[in-house]
Amino acid sequence: METTFLSLLHGFSVALQPDNLIYAFIGCLVGTLVGVLPGIGPLSGISILLPVTFGLNATQAVIMLAGIYYGSQYGGSTTSILMRIPGEAASVMTCIDGHAMARKGRAGAALCIAAVGSWIAGTFGIIVLTVVAPPLANIALKFGPPEYTALLVLGLIFLAYMSSTSLIRTLTMACTGLMLGMIGIDNMTGHFRYSFDLPELGDGIGIVPVAVGLFGLGEILATPSTKIVGEVIAPKLRELLPTRREWRESAMPIARGSVLGFVIGIIPGSAHIISSFLSYALEKRVSRHPEEFGKGAVAGVAGPESANNAASTGAFVPMLALGLPTGPITAVLIGALMIHGVAAGPQLVNEHPDVFWGFVASMYVGNLMLLALNLPLVGLFVSVLRIPYAYLYPLIIMFCIIGVYEVSHSIVDVWIMLIMGVLGYALRKFGFDPAPLVLGLVIAPTFEQSLRQSLIMSNGNYLIFFQRGIALVLLGISAVLLLLSAISFVLHRDWREKLAEVEGEGS
Amino acid sequence: MTLRADHAAGAAFVVFGLLIYALSGDLPMGGLSMPGSGFMPKLVAALLVVFGAILMLRGKESEPLAQLDWSDVKHAILVIVIAGAGVAVYTSLGFILAMVLMLFALLIIVERRAPLRAALYSVATTLMAYVVFAKALKAPLPIGPFGF
Repeated sequence: METTFLSLLHGFSVALQPDNLIYAFIGCLVGTLVGVLPGIGPLSGISILLPVTFGLNATQAVIMLAGIYYGSQYGGSTTSILMRIPGEAASVMTCIDGHAMARKGRAGAALCIAAVGSWIAGTFGIIVLTVVAPPLANIALKFGPPEYTALLVLGLIFLAYMSSTSLIRTLTMACTGLMLGMIGIDNMTGHFRYSFDLPELGDGIGIVPVAVGLFGLGEILATPSTKIVGEVIAPKLRELLPTRREWRESAMPIARGSVLGFVIGIIPGSAHIISSFLSYALEKRVSRHPEEFGKGAVAGVAGPESANNAASTGAFVPMLALGLPTGPITAVLIGALMIHGVAAGPQLVNEHPDVFWGFVASMYVGNLMLLALNLPLVGLFVSVLRIPYAYLYPLIIMFCIIGVYEVSHSIVDVWIMLIMGVLGYALRKFGFDPAPLVLGLVIAPTFEQSLRQSLIMSNGNYLIFFQRGIALVLLGISAVLLLLSAISFVLHRDWREKLAEVEGEGS
Repeated sequence: MTLRADHAAGAAFVVFGLLIYALSGDLPMGGLSMPGSGFMPKLVAALLVVFGAILMLRGKESEPLAQLDWSDVKHAILVIVIAGAGVAVYTSLGFILAMVLMLFALLIIVERRAPLRAALYSVATTLMAYVVFAKALKAPLPIGPFGF
């Protein structure tokens, strides 16, 4: 514990350096704007700005990119409350009671509760991350190829179980991602796979063109400007402070949302989205006045907003300790670290303490910055919302092209982005969530290598996965999850339907 | 029988899986003790075929294909065609010309905005992006035949 504390102090000495503070501030500001603007989510924001970090060192890059991620969770609430349009998917639940509060003249209070709740949850998440990540990384150092294979299988099954769409749809998307991840030179034999004589495909398909295409461009294609109509309810600065009763009503939902969000954040899947849905359902269940939900209940804002922020911090635990992405955003962050020659995973804390602890400490600072940014600058963000979407999305397309081209100066990557944009549009139409595809793409090389290494180690004996304790436990959990899914399939009743009911009742 | 969304989606994944299998013909499978470069792709292709088939079998739970909302498809086609044209001339015309033309086309053709306002907006935002990326952040952007 003492070592952790001393390491954290070292992290603060890194995070509080003026240039690192500036990058954290830029990340938080851009993240808030990304969260505020409809049609651009944290993933596209991070992907587009990834090339901007090439001139920075690994610590500065990850501080800025992570700032965009958790900043967007703060910013997403602004459009939800003031316009009833979620700036990003995790803010969907805030729309219901946040906008109802705004219509009652309590927009300022709703924004303040969302910001304070986000800050408390974010800080809580970082404290737990500080304590949990280093010992978890030490355990992970004992992992060999069979354990990694089992862990990745569990990750995929967990993702499918927790995903907002059905198990089969998620696994189909993950397999498509795995397939895309196998394009290029096979690391173990040197064979070219599916590169169609294009040298640019020799290194495989990059995560940035796929992520920007599926999420950034795909969203724009599915959102004509005529669909973005909304009147902004602008709060006055003096109305920002909630009443004593509102503070009292938000205290427990913030506490519950923080714990729930962090736990769900560690699990693979669209954690920050699911956590806000679950928090809303939980608050409605435990409330003495469930009839107020949908009509401006303070708990309906405080709980989900805290949960999605804690989840975004929780997602950093497997990323930093195991090198495993729990979602497309952490996958892009792992990619960003790799570009800077730093491998996320159990070695990170020992081999790059500046990056690890500087990043952890910067999150404490970043959360404070966001609290300071979000309330006084709400007027500025409201004026950004007044820019017509018809003028905004051409600009976003231009940034997508710049962002993708700048990664490796390859026009082939930009074409891949356009193809992925069309695919993202089609997937939306047919009810598929593209997030598992990105995750599959990222884990494909590790998954394939660890599976093949395991089989080589055991001379082709599949029992190797059941003869090693950790691998056996991980595969056992996967089997239980598959069984639970099978039961809910047979009974035609699973948690997604229950959540959909809560959402339906709320709105 | 009504053709439903999951019938079409499932069939697409089955075809995709079979296509990958066909394209993997020259990749060696190897043995279990030494899996080759075709081992994982063929395994994943087989899974795609299985999952696609399950989607098709469970297709009756999904929406009829004819009832999917395609009201935004015109917008999507126009945007992707204009963006594609912008990308096609990105390296030959250079960043500034290609992006000004792309933004202008999006505002005029898709959004039906006034030409003068669209032109001013396209030029101003492209130049701003050029200054930020090429000058401030030193990110090399493609240069066209006119030296910018």
